[in-house]
Amino acid sequence: MAELHMVVCVKVVPKPEEIRVDPETRLLERAGARSEINPPDMNALEMALDLKDRYGGRVSLLSMGPPFFEPYLRVALAMGADHAYLLSDRDFAGADTLATTYTLAKGIQKIGQVDLILCGEESSDGATGQVPPGLAEWLDANQITLVNRLDVDVKRQLIRGRREIKGGYEVLEVRLPAVISVQTASNEPRFMDYRIKSQASMEDRVTVWAKDDLGAEDSHIGLVGSPTRVSGLAQASTHERRRQFLEGAPEDIVGQLASILHELS
Amino acid sequence: MDQTAQESEEGVIVLDDAWWEELMAVTDGAAAPCFQCGVCTATCPWNLVRDRFGSVRHFMRQAQLGLQNGDEDLWLCTACAQCEALCPRGVPIAEVFRGLRYTAWTRRTTPAGLPSLLWSVYWNNNPWTQPPSQRSQWAKNISLPDFDPDEHEILFYVGCTSSYDRRAQKVTLALVQLFEAAGVPYGCLGDDEPCCGEPALSVGHRPYFEEVAQQAADVFGERGVTDLVTVSPHCYDTFSSEYQGAHQGFRPSHYTQFLAELVQDGRLAFESPVDLKVTFHDPCYLARRHNETEAPRCVLDAVPGVQRVEMERTRMDTLCCGGGGGQMWLETAPGERLSDLRTQEAVATGANVLATACPFCIACLEDSVKAQGIQDLVVMDVAELAALGLGD
Amino acid sequence: MVASLYGVDEEQKAVWVFLEQEGGKLTGVCLELLAKGRRLADQAGWQLGGLLLGRGVAELAQVAIAHGADEVILAEHPLLELFTVDGYSRVTFEVLMQYKPSVLLLGATPNSRDVAGRLAVRLRTGLNADCTDLRLDADTGLLISEVTGFGGGILALLESPDHRPQMSTVRPGVFPRGEPDRRRQGKVVRFPVELTDDVIHTRIAERIIGEERDLTQAEVLVIGGRGIEGHFDLMQDLADLIGGEVGSTRPPVDEGQVERERMVGQTGVVCRPKVAIVCGVSGAFHFVVGIQEADTVIAINSDPEAPIFEFADYCIVGDVFEVVPALVAALRPAPEVSEVSHG
Repeated sequence: MAELHMVVCVKVVPKPEEIRVDPETRLLERAGARSEINPPDMNALEMALDLKDRYGGRVSLLSMGPPFFEPYLRVALAMGADHAYLLSDRDFAGADTLATTYTLAKGIQKIGQVDLILCGEESSDGATGQVPPGLAEWLDANQITLVNRLDVDVKRQLIRGRREIKGGYEVLEVRLPAVISVQTASNEPRFMDYRIKSQASMEDRVTVWAKDDLGAEDSHIGLVGSPTRVSGLAQASTHERRRQFLEGAPEDIVGQLASILHELS
Repeated sequence: MDQTAQESEEGVIVLDDAWWEELMAVTDGAAAPCFQCGVCTATCPWNLVRDRFGSVRHFMRQAQLGLQNGDEDLWLCTACAQCEALCPRGVPIAEVFRGLRYTAWTRRTTPAGLPSLLWSVYWNNNPWTQPPSQRSQWAKNISLPDFDPDEHEILFYVGCTSSYDRRAQKVTLALVQLFEAAGVPYGCLGDDEPCCGEPALSVGHRPYFEEVAQQAADVFGERGVTDLVTVSPHCYDTFSSEYQGAHQGFRPSHYTQFLAELVQDGRLAFESPVDLKVTFHDPCYLARRHNETEAPRCVLDAVPGVQRVEMERTRMDTLCCGGGGGQMWLETAPGERLSDLRTQEAVATGANVLATACPFCIACLEDSVKAQGIQDLVVMDVAELAALGLGD
Repeated sequence: MVASLYGVDEEQKAVWVFLEQEGGKLTGVCLELLAKGRRLADQAGWQLGGLLLGRGVAELAQVAIAHGADEVILAEHPLLELFTVDGYSRVTFEVLMQYKPSVLLLGATPNSRDVAGRLAVRLRTGLNADCTDLRLDADTGLLISEVTGFGGGILALLESPDHRPQMSTVRPGVFPRGEPDRRRQGKVVRFPVELTDDVIHTRIAERIIGEERDLTQAEVLVIGGRGIEGHFDLMQDLADLIGGEVGSTRPPVDEGQVERERMVGQTGVVCRPKVAIVCGVSGAFHFVVGIQEADTVIAINSDPEAPIFEFADYCIVGDVFEVVPALVAALRPAPEVSEVSHG
């Protein structure tokens, strides 16, 4: 039977500490902020590469974003992924999860013959965690979320994923094709392989598709395809703290602390 | 020796040319001159704290034959160069260890945490996973001059640890005080300061190290950096030994060397007596790797009131603190810490202060002082002691 | 724009809560959503409904009513005995298409998020995840969801003007629970479930459920970070003395020193204790959001410039391995005194 074809969904996000809100316009300032591959997606990528080591097959990357995402996809290629697909079109911008998952699903369909789709648990900028089940729904595929260990029965076209829940764990089994989300920090992403890194910069390793390449319907993509609207942005209010430093010799401090705790109880 | 080998389960040697070639290439044939005399094994400081240590000679043999067995002891080497100092053949032993470590990278058998270390350098330009935009926060209360080759005598290269680590920042600030007291026009690269790449080099990833080094060298070239002064002997060693392709006029030095010159030229003098009994711990990367033992002592001796005493193992015989060779990113079991021995040696001198000139040495030595509950001994950097001598 | 399967003109003006149950009990977050849902419904003059799936769970419908629901749709079937995203999504979808509620609230738990994510696409509607607050505008009938982004510094207000249901998920512990009122009356409507084996695509190969640890209800939390170097025994000693629970930041969890459900922070548990004692924690923002609703925060860290001190009421610069044992000793009841220490 045909080899296992895995697709990892990858997002490039601003590094969290780099986000600033313009105090006057109250808009997010992304310009100039350093970016990185969404750390949970690195865990998804590591899982896919590990599955490739164990079962053979190939790993493709799928990403929806502007052209500047490309060098980041090449980093993932240098880790061992085989090919990258970047869905890039101005009309994809402003998408909420419904429009994003629709677009990614169109990408998966165009790539074709995909057995397993791996996503990070959530992204560090939006952190909704909704892409994996939404994507599975568009594709009418099975899903297992929050997986920290996965085994594949290639012959029987099944996967078994272990997920931690409620003070325990469960092992779920579903047939391929399936979408899984990988638990954040559940593995250590391998570093780039410098023996293959130069090949990662070859032009034919990345394919860029716009909306017409996908046959995506205008009504379903970008801002237009997004039911959710942002009606306001605000600075999060913080609970003002006392910031009182306890002074004195160690015994005094412990004494003060003990009194504070007694008072609070 | 041009046989390559791999032991199969029955003990039959199986040839693996590709692996042997890889190793020879990445170490530039470093293991070739070794004639297996075993002096290296005898001198390795790990023997002082461990019963069993995969001997250095054994690793050299492995490298020559192309044997690989995933030995964990490969990751113990601190690159202290004690073995190199005594090797009759001048084998660059630490380089062989790094080469063997690189083969672990290609086989993905490195210890856990090391891939994340390299990712940290890649995404954050430092090995400590700290935000790149906070690299110059250490200078938030002072005005940090942006390096200009026409105005500044030196580029003050702070380095990752001395930028981000709270304890190490005190040394950085002490150096700023000293430069100002001496009237040295200095500049920094601030958030644009590139990591020197030593973390990648020390854990054996030579190809990635070369990429980082090239990027750093390009920055120095663009900014017109000539004289560069580092805080850490590790950065200094890396710039000095490994930046072969750096531009003309690139002259790295360690801050103790620069301060010693200032003292000798009469540009830096100390007014305030510092009445302390001080013993100096030579960082391996200064002493054995670069024959630099006198500059730090010259600076200490220039501070009035400082009474210097030497430990048993001094200068070229310095006992490694255990922090080099990538050990800062690997776990060392309690009870196997070389710095425990070193701090005891310091105590035996009756000194109040154990002085050194390396942020990794400070971290290891302070850790050992605390862990052993040693009273009456404080670890200080030479820069901190010298700054005390400036008075107010 | 793509239209949702049912629109504003067909909606039933009601707030519904997806009632997740496990081991014969409604999950805590559902009780919190019922309390919040009740307030939203009262403000708008709407009904509060609950949707309960399972097998042999009828008495839980009464619990939901006691917590504020006016009506509970009960969908029971053998194939719903254990949660599968396939079975639960299918039945929930059918119930929603019949009743067409305006608002559907779900807990941001692993299973409810799975259902929410699939249903939002199936219904072609919006879904706001991990909301920190909710408001219902009585005039427009719009649900305004407040979410934080980018490590907690930014608040965004989200609305779904034209799509129904208006779906939002909420993390456990964000809203307080109410007290059940057993005299409350409400309707329980049985929904006829048609489910066949072929709908269920998930096989549960193994399932081990241990004791559930719910940090969200803890009144006192003792939290250890990297600085305690795995010594959670010390945290437990202190917690035991003051009637608290032990929590953790991310690094000890990743190191395997402590269970994941003890992790406090943006991607862990969000708590609102009376007292949080935070030991050896540097204070990264994504952790702080987990305790920012605490009444009092006490922080112990050896670094005087640790960011945690910005977010604490009482700050102790010291070695946790000196301060905490000394505190434990000071709090421990002396043998001859009969007074009991409580937190």
